[in-house]
Amino acid sequence: MEYAIQTENLTKAYGKTFKALDGVTLQIKRGEVVGYVGPNGAGKTTTIKILTGLIRPTSGRAYVNGTDVAAKPKDALRSIGALIEVPGVYDYLTPHEMLTYFGRVYGMRRDVIDQRIKQTLELVRLPDWEHKKAGSFSTGMLRRLTIAKAILHEPDILILDEPVLGLDPKGIIEIRELIRQFSSEGMTVFLSSHLLSEVAEVCDTVIFLDKGKVVSADSVEGIGQRMDHGVVSVRFLRPLSGADIERIKAIGLIKSVDVKNGAARLHYDGKPESNVEILRTLVSLNLDVVSYAAEGVGLEEYYVSVMSDEKGVN
Amino acid sequence: MATNAVSMRNDFSEAWLSLRFELLKHLKRRRLIILVALATILPLLPLIRTPDTAVGFAANSLSFMTVLIVVSAAMFAGDAVCGEFEKKTSLLLFPTPQKRSSIFAGKYLAALVCTFLVVALWYVVLTLETGALYGWGEIPAEMWKSFVTALIFSTAAVGVAFLVSSALKRSISATILVFLVLMMIMPIVVMIMTLLESEPWFIVTYSANLITTVLGTTSRLPMGPHGDVVQQFTPTFGRGMAVMATYAVACVGAGMAIAVRKED
Repeated sequence: MEYAIQTENLTKAYGKTFKALDGVTLQIKRGEVVGYVGPNGAGKTTTIKILTGLIRPTSGRAYVNGTDVAAKPKDALRSIGALIEVPGVYDYLTPHEMLTYFGRVYGMRRDVIDQRIKQTLELVRLPDWEHKKAGSFSTGMLRRLTIAKAILHEPDILILDEPVLGLDPKGIIEIRELIRQFSSEGMTVFLSSHLLSEVAEVCDTVIFLDKGKVVSADSVEGIGQRMDHGVVSVRFLRPLSGADIERIKAIGLIKSVDVKNGAARLHYDGKPESNVEILRTLVSLNLDVVSYAAEGVGLEEYYVSVMSDEKGVN
Repeated sequence: MATNAVSMRNDFSEAWLSLRFELLKHLKRRRLIILVALATILPLLPLIRTPDTAVGFAANSLSFMTVLIVVSAAMFAGDAVCGEFEKKTSLLLFPTPQKRSSIFAGKYLAALVCTFLVVALWYVVLTLETGALYGWGEIPAEMWKSFVTALIFSTAAVGVAFLVSSALKRSISATILVFLVLMMIMPIVVMIMTLLESEPWFIVTYSANLITTVLGTTSRLPMGPHGDVVQQFTPTFGRGMAVMATYAVACVGAGMAIAVRKED
């Protein structure tokens, strides 16, 4: 099977003693949205820089659509759009000037470039800024401009390194929506972040990296099941009485209950069938459920558990 | 063989694209406009006190040419490489399907084109001035030789700036070092060697003296309390051109080797 992104024992050493990456092996399928999480200094950006040809690995290989990035960087990079760290922008150029250059780099025709510039700027909500110098842009606008550059040539694979870094909540929501849109269009998205809430919102699969090694990799759903732990947020029409709380605790599938301000957080084993059964039981108890939603899947707890155990699974 | 030809064609088209982008950037940052203004105004300075002959007038004006070329090299090539890493625009520029060598070749050529442009402009203004002041028949016949020499020195100066930009991390440091090397260190070495009566033939700024000496002027350096004159060496044309060309090739080659291997 040809993966969208694949690495084999990727290692990057600086000097004789420090390894930023230590035998990282990844396999990311086409169309997947994969989160790549780890603490600062774990090696996430190093991996991305190797995948995008910015740095060379000490050993091991990285492939994009089956093409070795180190051996044939031009071919590999043709199908990638990348946003790495917080890139600088030529602040004396307008988006039109900058994107025209990159469009030509990707071999796009002039008429196609002009059309795509308008489309991408519309998508990232910068249509009125096409001919204004980037030096006048805010942080969020610059971020969106660099995303526009990453998707200009309609890549198969989008690599995003901390895409919401430095953004306000509105900016974070906008980026999240964009990622969802790219995913719905079939793009493979490889997204590095240390914000687990963002990863849980948009990713199918999460890879955990710590001190240059992959310590775990699983689907978001699988992590929830692996943790044997899930949380459901429930809002009721009326405040819960003591008796109501006891009746909820008595439901066999529920491990514990937190009640606050008319809402309850029910801790259970994380299995989808358990989720369904709990809802049925609550309704049968005439507890007037107004809203019922599964929260993140305990990603934070899982992250803490794997990072402290430092298990290597390569 | 066909694959190599296609590959070379692609490399040239990438370098051409990079060159055009760099020229746009120089224009937008007003560097080119500033240098063009300097190249237009500074040749008018010798009008303050005009020599008796057209050759003297041209030599006076062209004594500033080395300064113009060094300023141009520093401005257009001083941050060509290190600036991309310093400002992190390399994170936009390099993860793209183009060779780094093509990108940097385009940058060097763009700096060279801009420098050639301001040098040419200076010579045009100077020629018009000389013709207007002394008569069109008095324009020195060797002006074209001086022009070619200035262009060759430009390739060397821009090459030195490109090498410094590749080696250093910060634009301001690179720009200052280019000035120091070409305006101070090398001229000081030339002076010391002259005083020691040893021809500094291998110093590129010594060869740059050809810009004025091809017009037939010679220079003397008064030294000491008794007005003794130290006869300065005069570079020979062939060797001087060879030295400048060697500096250009060596500096660009070394600069390119460093630049393509540089990592964030």
